[in-house]
Amino acid sequence: MGWIQAVKRFVGGLMVLGLAWGGAGVVGAAPADPELIQRGEYLARVGDCVACHTAPGGPVFAGGLELPTPVGNIVATNITPSKTAGIGNYTLEQFDAAVRRGIRADGKPLYPAMPYPSYAKVTDEDIEAMYAYFMNAVEPVETRPPQTKLPFPFNIRYSMKLWNALFLDETPFQPDPSQGEEWNRGAYLVQGLTHCSTCHSPRNFLMAEDSSRDLAGGEVGPWHAPNITSDPVSGVGSWSLEEIVAYMKQGSIPKSQAAGPMAEAIDHSFQYMTDADLRAMAVYLKSVPPIAEDGVKKPVDSWGRAHADFASVRGKPWPENPDELNGPQLFDAYCAACHQASGQGTFDRQMPALYQNTATGRLQTNNLVMVILEGIHRVSQGYEVRMPGFAHELSDQQIATLSNYLMQAYGNPDGQTSAEQVANLRQGGPVSSSNLILLARAGMVVGLLVVLALVVWLVRRRRS
Amino acid sequence: MDSKDRSSTSLDHPLSRRQLLVGFLSAYTASLIPWAWAQEVPNEGQAAFMALSAIIAGRQTLNPELAKRIYEALDRSEQDFAARTQQLVALIEEQKIDPLQLQAILDKQYPQLAPIPRKLATAWFLGVVEVDGQAQAIAYEEALNAVFVADVLKPPSYCYGAYGSWAEPPIPNPNTQSEV
Amino acid sequence: MAENLSADFVVIGSGICGALAAYKLARAGASVIMLEAGPRVTRAQLLANFRNSPRRSDWMSPYPFSPWAPHPVYKPKDNGYLVQAGPYPYPAEYIRVVGGTTWHWAAHTWRYLPNDMRMQSLYGVGVDWPCTYDELDPFYQEAEEIMGVAGSAEEHPESPRSKPFPLEPVAEPWAMRRLRERLQPEYPVVGNTVARNSRTFGGRPACCGSNNCQPICPVDAQYHGGLAVDAAEAAGVRLIPNAVVYRLEHDERDRIVAAHYFDPDKQSYRVTGKTFIVAANGIESPKLLLLSTSERFPNGIANSRDMVGRHLMDHPSTSLTFDADEEVWLGRGPQSPSSINTLRDGPFRAEFSAYRLDFTNISRVDSTTQRLLLDGVYGPEFEKRLRYSAAREMNVKTVLEVLPRPENRITLSDRKDALGIPQPQVHYAIDAYTRGGAQDAKKHFTRIAELMGGTNLRFTPDDAFANNQHICGTLSMGNDPNTSVCDRYGRAHDHENLFFIGTGVLPTAGTCNSTLAAVAVGFWTVAHILEEQAGVPSGKRAATGAGAGT
Repeated sequence: MGWIQAVKRFVGGLMVLGLAWGGAGVVGAAPADPELIQRGEYLARVGDCVACHTAPGGPVFAGGLELPTPVGNIVATNITPSKTAGIGNYTLEQFDAAVRRGIRADGKPLYPAMPYPSYAKVTDEDIEAMYAYFMNAVEPVETRPPQTKLPFPFNIRYSMKLWNALFLDETPFQPDPSQGEEWNRGAYLVQGLTHCSTCHSPRNFLMAEDSSRDLAGGEVGPWHAPNITSDPVSGVGSWSLEEIVAYMKQGSIPKSQAAGPMAEAIDHSFQYMTDADLRAMAVYLKSVPPIAEDGVKKPVDSWGRAHADFASVRGKPWPENPDELNGPQLFDAYCAACHQASGQGTFDRQMPALYQNTATGRLQTNNLVMVILEGIHRVSQGYEVRMPGFAHELSDQQIATLSNYLMQAYGNPDGQTSAEQVANLRQGGPVSSSNLILLARAGMVVGLLVVLALVVWLVRRRRS
Repeated sequence: MDSKDRSSTSLDHPLSRRQLLVGFLSAYTASLIPWAWAQEVPNEGQAAFMALSAIIAGRQTLNPELAKRIYEALDRSEQDFAARTQQLVALIEEQKIDPLQLQAILDKQYPQLAPIPRKLATAWFLGVVEVDGQAQAIAYEEALNAVFVADVLKPPSYCYGAYGSWAEPPIPNPNTQSEV
Repeated sequence: MAENLSADFVVIGSGICGALAAYKLARAGASVIMLEAGPRVTRAQLLANFRNSPRRSDWMSPYPFSPWAPHPVYKPKDNGYLVQAGPYPYPAEYIRVVGGTTWHWAAHTWRYLPNDMRMQSLYGVGVDWPCTYDELDPFYQEAEEIMGVAGSAEEHPESPRSKPFPLEPVAEPWAMRRLRERLQPEYPVVGNTVARNSRTFGGRPACCGSNNCQPICPVDAQYHGGLAVDAAEAAGVRLIPNAVVYRLEHDERDRIVAAHYFDPDKQSYRVTGKTFIVAANGIESPKLLLLSTSERFPNGIANSRDMVGRHLMDHPSTSLTFDADEEVWLGRGPQSPSSINTLRDGPFRAEFSAYRLDFTNISRVDSTTQRLLLDGVYGPEFEKRLRYSAAREMNVKTVLEVLPRPENRITLSDRKDALGIPQPQVHYAIDAYTRGGAQDAKKHFTRIAELMGGTNLRFTPDDAFANNQHICGTLSMGNDPNTSVCDRYGRAHDHENLFFIGTGVLPTAGTCNSTLAAVAVGFWTVAHILEEQAGVPSGKRAATGAGAGT
């Protein structure tokens, strides 16, 4: 038979296997133990399921949120217990397969936008609790969100099986007997449900996490998820345990304020976690192998001091062209009211100082620009954190001028921002990684050409 | 050294030739400026201006960068400013004039010197100078009237704190003395 | 210019009243052109202008002056734009820019008292409104919900309401709390009802206590005309700035057919429309009408009975400044947070003016500095006295009522501005009724100072009344065309398709700042217009959509 037919049979066999496997699962009676459900609810918060599986303003867990990835938008699914639109028919085994192995009930793989590589670490007991929560305590929503349609060849989900084979570590969490209970709890949480590495680890060109540089920093669209290894200069090694806990619990400590996706993570997830769990995570983080970054001379929160440049501003008229406003003028008109004339923040530090602040200490200036563009809006433990965004008030050039002034005056003067960078970030961030689509298609074309050439050569050989 | 460090006072001359205000004062005026040992003077021509400013302001050392700007503005707007300032300091020394009586005495007896302390005071306390007949802001946050109350108040147009923070009693905040 | 300048509605004036009316009309599907004499401004530039101003206490100083759209300027020199014909000066301040005068205000948003609207029947003075408080209630509510008004219903029984305030009261500054604690039970000090955010609202942050409401809030925690214009433009209103309307043109049926405007180079443009709304403040609106003379209307549009510009009213103020016996430190929090409202009504109103008693929270620092400079205070004594006054000085002022008198009026002067347009002239007087109220208030001033252990009492002179820029009455609404300019819906008695919106239509001044009432009455006008006009579902009265705001 031709090799094409052989491939078809193989794939068919796989499908049969998948179906059989899926169908053979036991439809377990959903346990109604309230303690289990409560634990499941807590764990769902820890895993921050709501962040992706709830559209803004939409019903909880009903999906519909579009996650932009370099290869296209992935639409989060409805994970309410609806039998028609959600996971209402899922057995415990199917739930488990989806969460820990990234396989849907119909056998098809999930894209690793669903952080199943991290959730693979979750224990059986915790999966059971989460299953109990989702099946019993979540309101079913009967609307099915649109299907994910990625461009070829990424619409072939079976390609994920290859990816999984290359990159997925399915070993469950193994406690380290040489470490204490707190460390192990922290390791379990960080490596598993809180899936920190999904954002904070760098990825290879096939978008898998680079485990040799675990938590050494990553990009999330226009945002930079910083290095949170234990390196005292490049990471959080110089942070105290209390600081790390306070940051995760409140999202705001004098030297660092959460913004963008991290602010959301705190709003949806971390602020609900117990102090003990947060402390365990902090203990673990301070032990993650340190990864130093090139060019980072001192910790990002150790730069700058109070400074005001009144000579450039007081009594000086504004230029005709607003793009020619200088840094101090922009600071005066847009920032100083809250951050105060010398960048020192308010008496109560509720509006933070801009120096000795991670926002201005980083060489990577994307986050500073994003905060200026979008501001920060969080509701934490009943009180609000609000910094307005200036996207519609400031031009790309003005934001670049302002950002450079802030870094010069209050932060790391080596950090540079350009107007082009601002324009790019306004659109949603770096576009370079969509080369992946091109690469994959090009690779396939090349592969096909090679195969064709081989076939032609074989045929010729046979003839001759 | 960070060139934007505002504690630097060597704006017009190298550090090796630092001049202290105390070097330019006689007994009476020195008695009005107990901190003259700590106050730097950019150059001799500005010594009288600094002395007069210190007498009028009546407080700890003055911001040298602001002093420079005020001096330049007043020098532009007043005839023979440096000379008249020197005359005024000499007069204060000679007659042992109390700062509180100064303006009244000048208004009555030395009208040609009378505008000087007024302009200096308006510049330092309010942050306003007159240049070419036009009033102009030269300072707001650094103006002494803001500095004198900075432990309790922010200058208007600066956030006091988080929402509701003004409901607390106005206990002076020791952290703000050295900041503007 | 061959540009097509035509719309269903032409709104003249882009202040808070005009802009919100335009917004409502656009939301109802109408095409709207809004003409504004002045230029666009931004909050950021106004803030920078304030901090760079050599006259920070002059709240007009951050605002640009446009020779083609002049407004009164008094410092450093009086520009004489508003010609004073006496007998009492009326130094009104207003700002001709996109968004109008509420860029700088203390965001006071008061409802009138029901009795304010029945002065003639109840007290034999003033006039009765041609509508009732209850009729306006839903429109007040709508205005409050768009602007984000914070207040406590329990603290303000004097203005009944059927639905709660959209926002909780703004946090009380410490100084006001001390007043409240020490003045009770004799005087109940309450928080003012204000369009100031006590939480994030309308996409804008809560107040952060910048103590700069006037002249400019640095963070847009308070609502203002600029935000109303933003909402109007987002809803599809076409705003034309730097368009100085100088004439309204009517046809043989007395319908307004066009508004003519100059651009800064005195090029003339003609804007046509089906319905015209003049919302250009209580002085510029009557001025425009008076300018628009014709054979049929020799005294100006809508002025067949010589009522336009008459019954000018404002809220004069007298005050007492004193030094409290404790350190309260005014200047922390909003500028004008608290007042006493129990003297705003009563049988005495037949004899003399009612008043509100306002407590200021404006920082004393600059005013004290100026006083000390004037007194030649130098040396260490300056800091001592500055801190003393900054910590202890307090002030209480009256907000007095002026009755509608036809001789208090806006007319045209014989002076002309840069575009050759006649400048407005004002005739104003403060009569015995209002002075009686001021006299009555003095005993309260004294008592309040006493309760605060006050020393160094400084009363304003008996004949000195400060102005509050609440320009009312000049386009009064009323049922009788012989004594009013427009009917209960703001429609000009003389012109079927001409409406007035703004503080000018309010027929009595009451004892409260006029903006909220003007906006509410404007909504009532718009609702009536929409109901009347074909194709709009009737019964579409006040909508209470908080999301309708910016």
